[in-house]
Amino acid sequence: MLSQSLVQDVLNEALTTGGDFAEVFVEDRLTNNLSLQGGLVENSLSGRDFGVGIRLFKGFQSTYTYTTDFTKEGMLKAAKRVAQTVHGDQLLKITDFGQQQVKVLHPIQQMPQSVDKVRKVNVLKKVHESASQYSDLITQVSIRLKDEEQNVLIANSEGAFIEDQRVRNILTVQSIASEKSRMESGYINTGALAGLEHLESIDVNFYGSEASRIAATMLDADPCPSGTFPVVIDNKFGGVIFHEACGHSLEASAVAKNKSVFSNKLGEKVASDLVTYIDDGTLQNEWGSINIDDEGEAARRNVLIENGILKGYLVDKLNARIMNTDITGSSRRESYRFAPTSRMTNTFIAPGESTREDIISNTEYGIFAKYMGGGQVNPATGDYNFGAEEAYIIKNGKIDRPVRGATLIGNGAETLKKVDMVGNNLGHGAGMCGASSGAVPVNVGQPTLRVSELTVGGTKGDA
Amino acid sequence: MNLTDFKVRLFEKAQTKGFTDVELYYEKKKQFTSLLDQGEVDQFSVSEVMGLSFRGLYDGKMGYAYSEKLDDFSIDFLLDNAKENALILENENQEKIFAGNSNYPDANFYTEELNQFSYEELVEFLKIVESFVYKEDTRVVGTGFLGIQSSEIEKALFNSKGISLMERRNLLATGVSLIVKEGDLTKSGAYEKILYDLSETTAIDIAKKGVNEAISYLNPRSIENRKYKVLLRNDAATAILSSFSPVFSAENVQNGRSLLKDKVGEMIAGDNITLIDDPLHPDGNMSRNFDAEGVATKTVTVVEKGRLNTLFHNQKTAQKEDVETTGHAYKESYKDALTVATSNFYLKPGDQSYDELIKSIDEGVIITELSGLHSGVNEISGDFSIAAKGYYVKDGKVEGATNQLTVAGNFYDLLNDVKQIGSDLELAKRFGSASPSLLINQLSITSE
Repeated sequence: MLSQSLVQDVLNEALTTGGDFAEVFVEDRLTNNLSLQGGLVENSLSGRDFGVGIRLFKGFQSTYTYTTDFTKEGMLKAAKRVAQTVHGDQLLKITDFGQQQVKVLHPIQQMPQSVDKVRKVNVLKKVHESASQYSDLITQVSIRLKDEEQNVLIANSEGAFIEDQRVRNILTVQSIASEKSRMESGYINTGALAGLEHLESIDVNFYGSEASRIAATMLDADPCPSGTFPVVIDNKFGGVIFHEACGHSLEASAVAKNKSVFSNKLGEKVASDLVTYIDDGTLQNEWGSINIDDEGEAARRNVLIENGILKGYLVDKLNARIMNTDITGSSRRESYRFAPTSRMTNTFIAPGESTREDIISNTEYGIFAKYMGGGQVNPATGDYNFGAEEAYIIKNGKIDRPVRGATLIGNGAETLKKVDMVGNNLGHGAGMCGASSGAVPVNVGQPTLRVSELTVGGTKGDA
Repeated sequence: MNLTDFKVRLFEKAQTKGFTDVELYYEKKKQFTSLLDQGEVDQFSVSEVMGLSFRGLYDGKMGYAYSEKLDDFSIDFLLDNAKENALILENENQEKIFAGNSNYPDANFYTEELNQFSYEELVEFLKIVESFVYKEDTRVVGTGFLGIQSSEIEKALFNSKGISLMERRNLLATGVSLIVKEGDLTKSGAYEKILYDLSETTAIDIAKKGVNEAISYLNPRSIENRKYKVLLRNDAATAILSSFSPVFSAENVQNGRSLLKDKVGEMIAGDNITLIDDPLHPDGNMSRNFDAEGVATKTVTVVEKGRLNTLFHNQKTAQKEDVETTGHAYKESYKDALTVATSNFYLKPGDQSYDELIKSIDEGVIITELSGLHSGVNEISGDFSIAAKGYYVKDGKVEGATNQLTVAGNFYDLLNDVKQIGSDLELAKRFGSASPSLLINQLSITSE
C-alpha cells in the first residue's frame, strides 16, 4: 500500500520531538451496500475509503491524527501535527523494519468485489420470498447486504510493518407485521469474516421466515408486566447482556483508570461459579474474528472469567503501559478515523450442563427473552439496560404468552452473581459494537441461561 | 489532482460512458477533539478529511458511488460501480438531478470568532473546567468524561444541470460527565454546551451545572411501579422527539415504516402541539441553505395545533404523491444514499417555566435523562421503554432523585396527552431536534 521508506520517513518525522512510540495505520477499503425493499432493489451503494492515521505516545500520553491526504507532503504534515503535541529530545529513530507476514487464520474464498452484483441480488430475493410468504400479516420486508474488503498496513517504531486483509459480509433482514393501527418488527442477521461463500451457504428460508415470525409473534404480544423476575435469556445473541454488563467493564480502557467495577480485582470472585467468560478472536471465520488486531498483534483466546474468578482483561498497547501488564491482541478501531483501543472480538459465556428445557421447566414465573435487542452500560456504575426483541412470560415452568416492550435493567456486577443456571447450547450472534474507537464487528454469545432476578420495565405496570 | 480538475474529468468521462445527468457532492471536514482526565490530556485527535460522492443517471436509473481519494483509479471506480449499481435498481420512482431554484437563502452558519482559538487554548479551557469541578463540591470524585470538540465542515454540490452550491459551518462544543460519591453510592450526571467563548465565567458555569446535575442524583429512593404524571425535562423530551422524528418522513411512510400513512390533514396530536422544522435557524445544529439535492430550504410547519399539515419530502417522495418537495433531501455523509430527514426540528414552546411546571404537579416524576434510546425505542410501533434518571415530585416540590427508572409509553399517545408545555426550548443542542419541557398526564414508571 505504501513503501517502507515512505512509512519510515513519516514515523521518524512523528518521533522528532521525543515521542517514545509511533504508529502508522493505512487503510484502503472497498464497500458495497445493497438493499431490497419489498423485494425490489432499492439502493446499491459502492465506495472506497482511504486514509492514514498516525499515533504517537510519550509515556501515558497519546496523540492521534488522520487524513485522507496520501501524498508524502500530506502525511509528513500530519506527522508534524502529532509531533507538536510532545516536547523533548528525540529518543528513537527507525532504520529498518522486520519482515512480518500475517498468519491467516480465516481463509477467504470468494472476494466480494469479484462477484457480479446480480448474483448477490439473487440470494437476497430468495430471502425476501421466504420472509414475505411467512404470513399475511407481513406488510414490509427490508433486506440488506453489506460486504467489504479492508486492506490495512500497520507499521510502528517497534519495527512492525505488517499488512492484512479483512473481508466481511453481513446480511440483515427486517420484517414488519401490521394489523389495524399496530405495527411490530422482527430483525435477524448473519455475518462472517469470510467471502461471499458465507452468503451463499446460509439457509435463506430460515433467515427470511425467522424475521417474519418474530414480527408476527410480537403483533400478538401483550404489554410486558414490569417488576423483578427470574429472566431466562436464550442462547446466541442473548449474550449481548454480558457484552454490555461485563465485557465493556473488562476492557482496559475502563479498567486502567480504575473506572471499572472490575479494576484491581484479578483473582477475586466476581461472578457465580457457573460463569466462564471468554473472548476469542481466533474462532474460524466468525464475524468478530481477526487475524491481527489493529496494532498488528496476532489474535488470541483470552479467558476473562473462569468459574466465577476474574482471570484477565482485554489490553491494548497504551493501557498496557498504564497498567504495567501485557497486551492481549485486542486493540481495535472502526477505521483510520479512530485511534485503536481495547475492544472485544467474539465474547461468550462457556457452555454449562443444563438443557434449555430444564431451565424453563425449573422457572415457575418469569420472563423468557428469546431475542435481545441492543443496549448500553454506564461504565462508571455498571448500570445497564437493553430491550428484548422477542419475549414471553414463563408460567408454571412453561412458555406462555408473548410480551412486547420488555426492557431488562440491572447492574453488571450484580447480574454476574445471579446467574443460577447455564445451558449446554452455546451459540454466537453478530453485532456492531460502538465505543470510543468506533463501531467494530463483534460476536456475542452464550448458551441459554437464567438470571435469578432482574428488573423488567414494561408498559403494563406491576404484574 | 484538485477538486475542480477531478470534477471536469469525471463529468467528461461520465458522458462518454453513457451517463446522462450527473452530480458530485463534496465534503471536507476539519475536526479537533480532546479529552482530559485528572489534569492529563487523555485524547488529542486532529483530522482533515475529504470525500465525495458521484450520482449519475444511467439508462434512466440513478447509480451511486463514493471515494476518499482523488485519483484516476477513483474516476473509473466511481463510474463503473455507479453504472453497475444503476443497472440492478428496481424501484419505480427514480431520483432526478435537480435543475436548481431561482433563489437561495443565504443564512450564515459560520462563526469566524471560533477560528481564533488554538488547540492549546481549547485544552487549557478543559483544565479550567476540571479545576472548578473539584472546587464546586467535595463529593466529586472524578470525571467520567470531559471533552471539547471543534469542527468545520464545508460542502459543495455540482451537477450537469448547472447547480454549483457551497456552504460551510463550524461548531465548538464541550461536554462533561461527573462522578460523585457519598457513602457507598456512586452516581453520575452530565452537561453539554455549545461554546462561543472560552471565558472563566463560561468554564465555571459548565462546572457548576455538571456538578449540580450529578449531585442531584445522590440519595435516590425507590418509588412504586405505576403510572405517574410525568414532566419530561427539555433534554429528555428532546431525546424522545428526536428518536421519533423519522416517522414524519414521507420516505418512511411510503415504505410502510410509519403509522402516519393517510394522516395528512388529520389531527394526530393534541391542539396544543405545533411541530416546526426550521433549516435556517441561526442557532440550529442542522442548519442548511440547500438540501442534499440542491433544493432551497425553508421553514415548514409539519403539525399545526395538532393537525398534520405535511410530511417531509425530497424530490422522489414528493413526485410519488404529486406534491412539491419540502427541501428535506438528506445525506448523512457522502457515503450514504439520499434519504429524507429533518433539519432543526422543534416543538413550539409554551409560556410556563420549568419551575412553574414543577409547582403544578401534585404527585409525579420528572424525567431528566434517557439512555439506551437505540434499544428502547420502537420507531415503527411508537412504543418506547427507556432507562431514565429522574426525580420524585410531591406537592409541587422536588423531593429528590429516584433509583434508575424505566419510562414506558407510546409516542403517538404522548402527543395527545401533553398537559402543559414549557418555555425552555434550547435549539442549540447536540440533537437536530429540540423540545421544551413537557408535562404528560400519565406514563408508566418502573423503579429499580
